[in-house]
Amino acid sequence: MSAQEPLGGRIAALAETRVLPGGRELRVLPFFAALDLARSLPRTAGRRSLALVEREALAQGVCPERFVRNLETYSLEEQLRLAGAGAGLVGLGGLGGHVLELLARAGVGHIRAADGDEFEPSNLNRQLYATRRSLLGYKAAAAAARMRVVNPGALFEPIAAQLDEAGMGRLLEGLGLCVDALGGLEGRAALARRAAAAGVPLVTGAVAGQTGLVATVLPGGTCPAELFGQGGGAEDRLGTPAPAVAAAAAIMAGEAVNILCGRAPALAGKMLAFDLARMSFETLTL
Amino acid sequence: MHVSVRCFASLSRFTPPDAEACAIGPGETVGGLVARLGIPPEELKLVFLNGLHAGLDAALKDGDRVGLFPAVGGG
Repeated sequence: MSAQEPLGGRIAALAETRVLPGGRELRVLPFFAALDLARSLPRTAGRRSLALVEREALAQGVCPERFVRNLETYSLEEQLRLAGAGAGLVGLGGLGGHVLELLARAGVGHIRAADGDEFEPSNLNRQLYATRRSLLGYKAAAAAARMRVVNPGALFEPIAAQLDEAGMGRLLEGLGLCVDALGGLEGRAALARRAAAAGVPLVTGAVAGQTGLVATVLPGGTCPAELFGQGGGAEDRLGTPAPAVAAAAAIMAGEAVNILCGRAPALAGKMLAFDLARMSFETLTL
Repeated sequence: MHVSVRCFASLSRFTPPDAEACAIGPGETVGGLVARLGIPPEELKLVFLNGLHAGLDAALKDGDRVGLFPAVGGG
């Protein structure tokens, strides 16, 4: 097999047939074979070479090994759609770190994420990328380092700046979804306006104590943050403990992946409210 | 007549002891119930009646479910 052979043919030659637990046969591109193939591509492919290999495999109906356990929740066609999808994420703290991790692992091909903050010790209770080593460094830088080892096939564009409303608009350019993972109420209504102006769905989440809220706002729809107004939220008193933050982030990511792989949003016009003290989950209509 | 009341986040401290079957008077509104529970008006931002966004002037009837939220914005 020569390096000049078309990529499709080389993927077909490297793919293995595996039998899934349900009995279905699947063509799989082994992980290390995909890496070797990506490294053998001409340098013009640059850092995107792994993405190129994985997308070509998906287009041929060959599952990159990293996504085998996404099946059959997400079909190969949906996985390919995810690889070609882009999401804008505002906030890389408690919600944003977990959301980013889940979107990257799910296989979202392009994520642009902004946070102007540096990690501080009070973030250690919940923020996935806050560690003793990352303290005092930019959250966006820690997220970028993490993305390089979690899913280098995803294009990750970190922005280490606090965005004004115009900046939020620029962040969303060319992307299909906006995720509001801000901490505090400030900026949330502006982000909802910009998502509406860009014509993309907004997945928003917020936490105070054991209570978490997640909603999807379609352009023109009602955003919970608009109803809350400005000023402090209940989190000022109750804090933001890890289980509620991670639960809200997981629900946000679940909804985001559903939307990005082409399904109808489950929470459009609705707000899922949970309370981990009572272990209650309910979906309310806004 | 009774309604169930769920007070979320910082409003949970106003949860009545009989939250699952809270007695209401005839013609009582959500606003009347909220005042009786002692919830400061500025702290209540979002009301749901039987799963639908509602206002304080909504009238209550037997078996209704009321959900009360403060502003929640943490992340």
